[in-house]
Amino acid sequence: MSKISFPYPFPEHLSIIVPEMFIAVMAMTVLLWSLFLPKEKNYIAAWMAASACAAAIPLLLSQAGAIGLTTFYGFFILDAFAVYAKLILLLTSIFAIVMSIDFMKKEANAGEYYAMILFAVLGMMFMISAANLVMMYLSMELMALSVYVLVAYQREVVRSSEAALKYFILGSLASGIMLYGMSFLYGVTGQFDFQAIGIALQGVGHNGHLAVMVGMLFVIVGLAFKLSAAPFHMWTPDAYEGAPTPVTAFMSVAPKIAAFALFIRFLVEALPAVQHEYIPILTGLALLTMAVGNIAAIAQRNIKRMLAYSTIGHVGFALLGLIAANADGYAGVLTYLTIYLFMNMGIFAIIILMRGKDGFKGELIDDYAGMSQKRPIYALAMALLLLSLAGIPFLGGFWAKYAVFIAAIEAGHVVLALIALLFSVVGAFYYLRIIKYIYFDQPRGEFEISDNSTMQVIVTVCTIMVVVLGLFPGPLMELCHQALIGLV
Amino acid sequence: MLESIFFYLFGGLATIGALLVVLSRNPMHSVMWLIFCFFNAAGLFFLLDAEFIGIITILIYVGAVMVLFIFVIIMLEVNVARMREGFLHHLPLGGMIAMLVFIEMASAGFSGVFSAEQMGTAVHLGQEVNNTAEIGKELYTHYLLGFELAAIILLAALVGSVVLTIRSRKDAKYQNIPAQIAVKKSDRLRKVRM
Repeated sequence: MSKISFPYPFPEHLSIIVPEMFIAVMAMTVLLWSLFLPKEKNYIAAWMAASACAAAIPLLLSQAGAIGLTTFYGFFILDAFAVYAKLILLLTSIFAIVMSIDFMKKEANAGEYYAMILFAVLGMMFMISAANLVMMYLSMELMALSVYVLVAYQREVVRSSEAALKYFILGSLASGIMLYGMSFLYGVTGQFDFQAIGIALQGVGHNGHLAVMVGMLFVIVGLAFKLSAAPFHMWTPDAYEGAPTPVTAFMSVAPKIAAFALFIRFLVEALPAVQHEYIPILTGLALLTMAVGNIAAIAQRNIKRMLAYSTIGHVGFALLGLIAANADGYAGVLTYLTIYLFMNMGIFAIIILMRGKDGFKGELIDDYAGMSQKRPIYALAMALLLLSLAGIPFLGGFWAKYAVFIAAIEAGHVVLALIALLFSVVGAFYYLRIIKYIYFDQPRGEFEISDNSTMQVIVTVCTIMVVVLGLFPGPLMELCHQALIGLV
Repeated sequence: MLESIFFYLFGGLATIGALLVVLSRNPMHSVMWLIFCFFNAAGLFFLLDAEFIGIITILIYVGAVMVLFIFVIIMLEVNVARMREGFLHHLPLGGMIAMLVFIEMASAGFSGVFSAEQMGTAVHLGQEVNNTAEIGKELYTHYLLGFELAAIILLAALVGSVVLTIRSRKDAKYQNIPAQIAVKKSDRLRKVRM
């Protein structure tokens, strides 16, 4: 036994994994430290978690020069694409954690809440850097498990538990389907590394074709579930409505960033050989997702449910970037996610501010009637963010849609882009309806907005970013193109 | 020769155990037969030189999963009589599924894909190869990052399950020891003028 020789040397380039290590250590530190915090001081745990995410950003940027380095024997990859995706992910997480402070003020076990957010962030960072099927599955499970717990966090609230249970059961099913698909891909190619699968699939003849198709389809189903693309979107409205609002804000943006990044890397590295087969599948997904998201949102009375369908609609638009399957398309997806981050975070910050002292005010669309007369500044911010979500020109959301639509048209999917444009017009209706409530209806009650300076900062930053990115989208689009050098 | 005797011994006992799991009237007996079945399955792994998987089967399935089953049965007080009520009602559907699975397996078995010539026979690697050491070498070097990530998943699951269940019940009569110690004379004593 004493003569065991290890076949592998010590892993090289360990420095590229430092941000993940830091987040993992900080998650456990928050978990332990919060045990010694009295209940009324649990905001300290929140600031620890937020500053952990903030401190991971310079750690990440210090590795920005690492182009396509891998560590741990090819399990973990860091390139410009991963750096950029992790950057917007960490930004989202900081927003979500800061939004939670007021919400979690009276809750017990707040430290575990922030630790779970950090675990979810860790899982998502590994998703972005996953270079093989093992890391892909494990990181998705870490993210999913943490988010299930966050959704169920208010256990006294029945709909929260119900939402978490639905999400958990459907999520487990999707994981199982994805694993089954992975087993097919592994069985055909004998590889679990993305690039090695990609090379092996070039040589797969007619015999292995069916197995490759089944494997590819099942893995796409698993990823589509995480993106809440129709027809795998069923969990989204319930989970968004039932989860605590800061968690809804978090899960409406962060997992989408990670899942899109993983999806792009998987398509580019593992599946280039079957591009002609996966594009029709993605086209069907995108059409259905845009239809379900934009049409079903019209019927919603609850603003969180409406935003859930709005997320589904936006995922449908962003899928156009994957269908374009070129550098412009993938850059478009990154642009889309960046602008979507600011729009959605701003809206959710206002929804959280609307939450009065008595229960759940501010969740119905009617609650916003006459907001402009009582709170003109918030009303203006909300209107700008909603117009941006609708894609009105010269606000951020317009350029997000522009980037992916143009990429799809350049790749020859003109009809698809036209249909997407049509759904975008349908989608504008339900955003404009809220603006009608805000500006043209009489107030029906008192607005008990809890003026909280950190939340005001988030609303201001998000609104300004949406306006600035709407006026000067050039640098952002250029940055997203830069991020793709080396991947495509 | 000796190997096939052991194969039929373990395989036969596993089949009998599995049948008794279904046929026992007492759910606790079913669990015991399932444990018996798992031990025999582990025996089959040992015959294939896969001693690590054999030991893991016993440790995890018998040591952890079945203990969990026993706890569930004890806590839920499963009523067997009520479970058997709908037997005839569900028989057509259940029977159909069972027949389908049987036909599938039989046709796969007779298709020739699983004939003796097609099957690779298990080759004994000899005594110098230690399964556990080999798996350990791979797991803790090449697959180290995945292993660590699995450890963090376990931690997150552990913390998550505790957080979702730890709510002190309002009606529970726990002693609050710090509060008892911190109590002062003036809190409890009252001077009564007689």
